[in-house]
Amino acid sequence: MQTFPIQKIIEHGPGVKSFYFPKTFDVRAGQFVNLWLPGVDEKPFSVSAVMGDWIEISVKRYGPFTTALMECREGDYLGLRGPFGRGFTLQNNALLIGGGIGIAPLRLLAQELNVRGLRFVSLLGAATAYEIIFARDFQKQSVCYFTTDDGSMGKKGLVTDDLVDIIAKEKIEYIYAAGPEIMFVKTKELIDPLGLPYEFCMERYMKCGIGICGQCVLDDSGLRLCVEGPVLNRDDLKEVTELGLLHRDASGRRV
Amino acid sequence: MKTIHLIKPDFLNLKMDSPLVLASGILGLTASSMARVIRFGAGAVTSKSFNLEWRKGHRNPSIIPFEHGLLNAVGLSNPGVDEMVKEIRLFRQKSEAPIFASIFGRTIEEFAEVAKRAAEARPHLIEVNVSCPNVRSEFGTPFGDSPQDTAQITRLVKKAAGDIPVSVKLGPHGPGIGLMARVCEENGADAITAINTAGPGMLIDIRVRKPVLSNKTGGISGPAILPIAVKSVYEVYENVRIPIIATGGVTHWQDAVQMLLAGATLIGVGTAVYYEGMEVFGKINKGIEGYMRENGFSALKELRGLAHE
Ligand SMILES: Cc1cc2nc3c(=O)[nH]c(=O)nc-3n(C[C@H](O)[C@H](O)[C@H](O)COP(=O)(O)OP(=O)(O)OC[C@H]3O[C@@H](n4cnc5c(N)ncnc54)[C@H](O)[C@@H]3O)c2cc1C
Ligand SMILES: Cc1cc2nc3c(=O)[nH]c(=O)nc-3n(C[C@H](O)[C@H](O)[C@H](O)COP(=O)(O)O)c2cc1C
Ligand code: FES
Repeated sequence: MQTFPIQKIIEHGPGVKSFYFPKTFDVRAGQFVNLWLPGVDEKPFSVSAVMGDWIEISVKRYGPFTTALMECREGDYLGLRGPFGRGFTLQNNALLIGGGIGIAPLRLLAQELNVRGLRFVSLLGAATAYEIIFARDFQKQSVCYFTTDDGSMGKKGLVTDDLVDIIAKEKIEYIYAAGPEIMFVKTKELIDPLGLPYEFCMERYMKCGIGICGQCVLDDSGLRLCVEGPVLNRDDLKEVTELGLLHRDASGRRV
Repeated sequence: MKTIHLIKPDFLNLKMDSPLVLASGILGLTASSMARVIRFGAGAVTSKSFNLEWRKGHRNPSIIPFEHGLLNAVGLSNPGVDEMVKEIRLFRQKSEAPIFASIFGRTIEEFAEVAKRAAEARPHLIEVNVSCPNVRSEFGTPFGDSPQDTAQITRLVKKAAGDIPVSVKLGPHGPGIGLMARVCEENGADAITAINTAGPGMLIDIRVRKPVLSNKTGGISGPAILPIAVKSVYEVYENVRIPIIATGGVTHWQDAVQMLLAGATLIGVGTAVYYEGMEVFGKINKGIEGYMRENGFSALKELRGLAHE
């Protein structure tokens, strides 16, 4: 384990922050790192951007770990190991569908697509305006559609509401999605009939992050989300029977 | 298929295509996961150790790599016997390969109860984990450090398991692994699994100045413990006639051959999945087979224990 001081913190709004750490490895969009808060816990987070010598991690407060992380200050030492897993492939004419903090890995994906000169469109939704992190950066790089639950930004409603229309209008050929599991279920329902290929950046409870504990393995495929994922494509997902259903907690029980 | 035939082990009349067994605690929580390990070339799998009630285990970090292995204190997290019985049944539907159910108990009586419940799923072997070093703060000294406790657990589990064979999993420490293996054999064990993780050990972060594992200490696995494991297997072989599932630090085929020469019938592979990926099983199979061909061996048992006088 290596520990690094937090270089900088940005607050997007209550309970949503980005943290900057020295960059000591190359990382691809969709890959994740494990953050260790000494005395608290260690949890997985996507890298949301790479900027020169820094990497950025963007976090939303949920439970004990993310709450403790919100209390951290610049200069505090955190353990950081990775990068883990397999990231996104880079495709042209793609739609980036992000829900809530799922926007984080899509931010790095947008950077990578942009550098390669690949066209993409962004469809980002969250509970409220400030949770659509770095909206302005997305707008600089792509056509954007926003939705919020409270109508504070873009259209009021869910990110999947106008999905099919946007795909047709923007001549979309490839789908990337990151966000809550229910969003994948809906997205899949809507795009499977269209025959579009896709990649989803998924989450499961993780312990080791290195493919040995078995905690993050998906039924029925036996794929380890921390190694063969967290980005899974249409073929991988064909064998995953637990999408949107029960999955395992720290003990390994299905909850 | 001559290839596969060459490395077929002769272990308790079980049908296996390879002497490699997935070690307990590695990718052993679900049927889907263990079935995938078989597809990569393991001859059998061992489930994660389970007891009666589900356990969350220790907080993360619970598994950390260092230069020569892994340090882990998962804390025997598991979904409990009810869930695991389901997974073992499911595995049996999915795969022809044998599955070993690894069990533990917080008390001697619990071992027997879990064994009885586990037997309902008809695993091909029950492996009794008396040697986990990571739950000392909770359970005290491992039962595997006491010949009396180990004898009693072996007898009780053997009775509860009925016709299902029983292997006792020993650690490298305690009162001497040769003696402990003898105690197990005398009390009815059908096999010995050696070894569990070594240590416990500790790693400290020099900036935070605290132990990295949330449990502070953890068991050591991987390349660092290979010599300890080889020596342990050698010693067990000198002391008992029952077969040995030799586990600890096996990463390359040469390590596996060392285990065979020390006296192994089967070879456990765990941490190597981290170093070599899922392909490790196929690679070691091929390596053992190549070694046998080159040196004119026609069955694994011809290699067994050759390092002894
Ligand atoms: C590959 C991956 C990438 C992620 N990227 C981000 C990100 O960029 N930004 C972000 O804010 N969050 C991300 N998460 C989720 C983040 O790990 C959880 O928010 C965090 O673990 C919550 O911990 P907690 O103690 O605050 O909340 P808890 O109350 O413990 O949990 C809240 C939610 O997080 C999940 N969770 C808890 N512990 C773990 C764990 N060890 N592993 C995985 N999930 C867990 C729980 O299932 C629950 O749904 C990612 C998760 C994964 C698996
Ligand atoms: C993460 C991890 C979890 C483990 N969990 C268990 C367990 O639940 N029961 C058990 O008997 N052994 C457990 N072990 C020990 C292994 O089965 C094996 O005996 C040990 O790791 C040495 O083999 P290796 O070097 O091939 O990993 C675990 C090991 C690791 C690394
Ligand atoms: S988190 Fe351990 S195998 Fe994926």
